[in-house]
Amino acid sequence: MPTAEDAPGALDMDKLFAARLHAARARPYLATALFALHTVESRRVPTMAVDRHWRCYVSPVFVDRTPVEELAGVWVHEVSHLLRDHHGRGDRVARERGLTGPGERLRMNIAADCEINDDAFGDGLVRPEGAVEPGSLGLPAGELMEDYLRQFRLGPHTESAAWLDCGSGADGMERGWELGPDGAHGLSAQERDAVRFRVAQGITGRQEDTPKGWKRWAEEAFHPPQPWRELLGAAVRAATSGSGAGQDYSYGRPSRRSAGLPGVVLPSLRRRPSRVSVVIDTSGSVSDAELGSALLEVAAIARAVGGRRDLVTVLPCDAAARIVYPLCRGEGIPLMGGGGTDLRAGFARALRTGARPDVIVVLTDGQTRWPQARPACRTVVGLFPRQHAGRSWDEGDPDYVPDSPPDWARVVTIG
Amino acid sequence: MLTLLRDSTTEPRPDIQLEALTLAVAADLPVLLWGEPGIGKTAALTQLAAALDLPLTTVIASVHEPSDFSGLPVVGDDPAEQGVPMAPPDWAVRLVRAGRGLLFLDELSTAPPAVQAALLRLVLERRIGALQLPPGVRIVAAANPRSSAADGWELSPPLANRFVHLQWTHDHEVVVRGLGGTWPLATLPQLAAEKLPGAVDFARRAVCGLLAVRPGLVHRLPSNETRRGGPWPSPRSWEMTLFLIAFATAAGSSREVLSLLVRGTVGDGPGLELLASLDRMDLPDPETLLADPGSAVLPERGDLRQAVLDGVVDAVRKRPEKARWDAAWALLVRALETGAPDLVVVPATTLATLRREDWDVPATIEQLAGVVTLSRRADQVAARSAAVAAKAGR
Repeated sequence: MPTAEDAPGALDMDKLFAARLHAARARPYLATALFALHTVESRRVPTMAVDRHWRCYVSPVFVDRTPVEELAGVWVHEVSHLLRDHHGRGDRVARERGLTGPGERLRMNIAADCEINDDAFGDGLVRPEGAVEPGSLGLPAGELMEDYLRQFRLGPHTESAAWLDCGSGADGMERGWELGPDGAHGLSAQERDAVRFRVAQGITGRQEDTPKGWKRWAEEAFHPPQPWRELLGAAVRAATSGSGAGQDYSYGRPSRRSAGLPGVVLPSLRRRPSRVSVVIDTSGSVSDAELGSALLEVAAIARAVGGRRDLVTVLPCDAAARIVYPLCRGEGIPLMGGGGTDLRAGFARALRTGARPDVIVVLTDGQTRWPQARPACRTVVGLFPRQHAGRSWDEGDPDYVPDSPPDWARVVTIG
Repeated sequence: MLTLLRDSTTEPRPDIQLEALTLAVAADLPVLLWGEPGIGKTAALTQLAAALDLPLTTVIASVHEPSDFSGLPVVGDDPAEQGVPMAPPDWAVRLVRAGRGLLFLDELSTAPPAVQAALLRLVLERRIGALQLPPGVRIVAAANPRSSAADGWELSPPLANRFVHLQWTHDHEVVVRGLGGTWPLATLPQLAAEKLPGAVDFARRAVCGLLAVRPGLVHRLPSNETRRGGPWPSPRSWEMTLFLIAFATAAGSSREVLSLLVRGTVGDGPGLELLASLDRMDLPDPETLLADPGSAVLPERGDLRQAVLDGVVDAVRKRPEKARWDAAWALLVRALETGAPDLVVVPATTLATLRREDWDVPATIEQLAGVVTLSRRADQVAARSAAVAAKAGR
């Protein structure tokens, strides 16, 4: 085991590993990941850096001049890049937005650092000197790397970060000093997933003292949230196309091909576009912007599944539902209302309207009462998430807590 | 000109997607390939059929009617007496006559629900109308993901549960090189006859070992909107997993291939748990290590090494004897000589607390002095960090 005394400039392993031990004690849920890193001494790294194969390159000079406290923070910082898959996400962003060149990769590194650093330090870990934080770029904390990337350019205020280089593990760009996929002691894709999975499991198992950013990561590490538009679209599509609604096969009318095959009973495809009722919660708690985007989305989906516009009706509803509008007037529907909501009125009104709908799509924030019995049609709920769950919204009954949407409805969380 | 353009060569190249597909087909499990349109799913199937020497029958599910899979009712002279037979389509008759082949059901997710229901019977019972598919016929289906299937229906959970789901993606390098004239030639996995009994035993131990301690994983319908239409765990899909582990083990396939297969059968969460428990099964047994600490080989990777050392200390705690305690110390010294010192701190601290009054401290413990210093150093760091935080808080 070489120590600082052995040779001038040699890597002080004891200092480095004491820092790792402290990091693992301060953040027990990251211990598996910290220990899975393979350290490589390198004189060409400016500080410490990781590659996508979970090797950690360490500069002896950097270890020498950095206090152990700060080194522990750097360990956690570097392993966070890998756990949060910054290299994979960086590659994806680069492809989607057409970002090329080392300048863009440096921006990705800075954005990734912002995502990590806003809640990585404190609570037993000292913030390393020169660590980039969203605040120093004038950005709000708690956002993701992809969001930060939109919000700043390289300039005088990022100059202090120009020396910063966390390796290809942070931004996806291979460096000259990295060992590459064929080098020794790299982790394979499956091993990387296994380590990330263990850490995620550890975090979901111990909820109390983990920062919010890590909890969010653990929930989404293996189930990245899908865009709600796709989910809502799939739900409405599945509802409008199920048996009893819309197009499907029936023996009701002979097929056009029957003439050529006497004696054979051929089915025929008969199209009956589905009727869709959109019930919109217009209580004060749902913002116009949210409603507008969701309504547009439902209209687009209804068109895509072949619903004629006159078959889609819109029904604003607060404590009572009064008027039903056909979608052809979609642009001019007055979304008035405010105060409390009772969606039971909306359901009753939708089912009473002329031709019964095949599908009811409800757009709401869930601060409502729901019908007791399952209605005689499919139901899709687009739910605007609300932070203050559990708090009463009904002034007349302060103990009332809204029910969650009933289990006979397919629920898609919007936003 | 066209001949010139179509002229291309092949080169051997490992392809884990194709290897996973081949193994699932070899295990006679229905496979569902998920991929964007135009990504080369059909090309892969053509290559697989050629390699396995099976005739390929492609059926575009979305342009067929349910009766193409369940059979057309043909009214005879006396339906009351003879019944109405369900006549199968011509491709099915040819497939049955050939006795073997690869049936490729394309565009499954864009087929209407009634067609999917008819396909359920084809995939599960291997029946088309009155015909029974012979055992030599293998079934592979393909579907576009929901995001790109503009007018797609989603797969119903019962149908989804019967498939091994494989995500089909393209490799940038392969495409560029292929368009330049050289396509990869995948080497297909071969089952080694002498490994078969061991592989079956291993697969049974792996699946039963996990499900015994995690009964909640046996059956879990997808509740989340995101996971609909994908793989989910049920006794049926766990049995498929067991088959796949046995085949992958006998073929000597890598963990990457197995990971694709397992996660594609029971879903990401349960699949990863299974893979993690496989990693633990690979670790050396604590009792073997304690029996002969001198020749012990510890894993290189830090987190696995710590898991082994923790296991050793745990074994000593369960049956505390002087000889075992000494052997554990010898193992810790060995770990210190061959790897990072910080991994040894926790096991050493725990092992020290297991000491009985009449046990003498072994001489080897001297060599662990460095560990104690390291641990003390980390303690000092923690104290200093706390002091800094307190000062900042003031």
